[in-house]
Amino acid sequence: MSHNDNQLDCSIEIVTPENISFRYQVAGPFRRLPAFLLDYAFRILICLGAAWILGILQSVSGFSGWAMLILLYFVIEWFYGGLFETYWNGQTPGKRVLGIRVLSINGEPINGLQAMMRNILRLVDLMPMVPLTALFGEGVYGWTPIGLVGLLTPVLNSRFQRLGDIASGTMVVIEERHWLYDVVRMDDAEAVELAEKFPPNFQVNRKTSRALSAYMERRKFFTKARQQDIARHLAEPLLSQFNLPRDTNYDRLMCALYYRAFVAEQGE
Amino acid sequence: MKVAELLKKRRQNWYELEQLCGQLEDRRRRAIGAATISRFAQLYRAACADLALADAYQIPPNTVQYLHRLVGRAHNQLYRSREFNTGSWAKMLLLDVPQRIFNDRCVQLTFAMFWGAFILSAALAVSSTVWPDFAEQVLSAEQISQLEDNFSDPIQGRNATYNPVMASFYIQRNTSIGLQCFAGGLLVIPGLLMTLFNAVHLGASFGYMARPDVPEGENFFHFVTAHGPFELTAIVLSAGAGLRLGFSWIYSQGLERFASLRKTAYETMPLMGAAMVMFFLAALIEGFLSPSAVPYPVKAAVAVISSGLLTGYFVLLGFPQQGP
Repeated sequence: MSHNDNQLDCSIEIVTPENISFRYQVAGPFRRLPAFLLDYAFRILICLGAAWILGILQSVSGFSGWAMLILLYFVIEWFYGGLFETYWNGQTPGKRVLGIRVLSINGEPINGLQAMMRNILRLVDLMPMVPLTALFGEGVYGWTPIGLVGLLTPVLNSRFQRLGDIASGTMVVIEERHWLYDVVRMDDAEAVELAEKFPPNFQVNRKTSRALSAYMERRKFFTKARQQDIARHLAEPLLSQFNLPRDTNYDRLMCALYYRAFVAEQGE
Repeated sequence: MKVAELLKKRRQNWYELEQLCGQLEDRRRRAIGAATISRFAQLYRAACADLALADAYQIPPNTVQYLHRLVGRAHNQLYRSREFNTGSWAKMLLLDVPQRIFNDRCVQLTFAMFWGAFILSAALAVSSTVWPDFAEQVLSAEQISQLEDNFSDPIQGRNATYNPVMASFYIQRNTSIGLQCFAGGLLVIPGLLMTLFNAVHLGASFGYMARPDVPEGENFFHFVTAHGPFELTAIVLSAGAGLRLGFSWIYSQGLERFASLRKTAYETMPLMGAAMVMFFLAALIEGFLSPSAVPYPVKAAVAVISSGLLTGYFVLLGFPQQGP
């Protein structure tokens, strides 16, 4: 990923107290909606589980747990997300499964107040409410949120913040491990041979080396013709610069360059 | 040093950091041990340095992306969420909140609006000449008959085992209404609509019950008097806090709109906290005292005392203080 496609990839740059800047990828609706639905399922499960346990308690000891159940329902309804995000470092179970985390917009962790705020204001993001009759026809009563506000607001700002996020100064970032690729293995002996024909003082500059490694990581997904097509722009000037035969395979030349830039010891 | 060699050297460190991140994510902090944590910090700094020099080392873009993710993940473990600052809650509720409410035009506006609509609606519902079927139009026929059913028997104290259940039910229902008014205030119009709806609805119920030809009225007022002040004030307060939130991005006082909203959100959250405390108190009174057989004067006295407490809270604690 090069520097100029930050905007394409929705990443946010954070400067840490160590004076390092690194990038987070902001989570969009396709991660956050499943996380929300999972959390919703967990909420129902918690309430059902509590009802079941209290039911057993009642049948065993005659202790009526209705009051506790209603209070639990109230707490789960309004403070489930807030409490989890406070004590679980910005994650709820659903967010954890989807690998996302809530952070302050300056990259700091959130505090309890922010967590509560953004979860209470979710009500607004779930608006507008639509009567079920409009969706399922006559005879079905009740209202359902359709969440248009929460879907449209994130589109209008660079951090994908819904209204609750904007008010509490938070954002949701993707946090998962990225696969670490090794340097691309070179099993092409001819490319290594070709690399030795380069002038010894030839240095690959930064921009070229970035392009080279991007090419090498993806070349196995291209057809032979496409490889030639892409490599030509760099290969043709280099061939004339190095006085190499015109009919050298462009792709092999790229491999040789890569070998020279990333693998081979210099000055041998 | 060539990139291949460099990556080989650093990879050990990165993997170790990754494993430590996993441990920190899964276990409680105390179980990790100081030595591991300092090792973690060391590795984190090393990874930061590698990332900072990635361009100079000519590390491949894919690895750079890996490093961004790794540093981000470690960063989130090093700087963890701060929990509630419970120590400052008392000061917040007793000093900051009343001061803020006293000067808050939005709370005042909501107060006037809620009570205006409430009184108007109650007056229309009582009167049999101005708008004869106002109460029937606002409250549906079912709601009226249910209301009459609920208060058909004199309040003589019910089976005491229901009290905690009802108290928690009131906490759940009323606080939810308050939180809805608060959150709806962010978009101004939903908040105003919810507040006005509640005011008109409650006003119509009160007005209907106050009609001389409704025999259940006496029981109704016997029931609602004690908890009324806390509950209605809490609704006004949460709607006012929500309205303040909504106006903050419309009238941003020279700040950027989002910044103004953020600043106001921090200020209004304690107001909502105060409203929730009032809802809890109201629910306790409504659950335990209101349905009991305690004579009406005692309940009225509770209402007077709680109104006095609220006035003291808003005016005495809220009056702008001189000095630092």
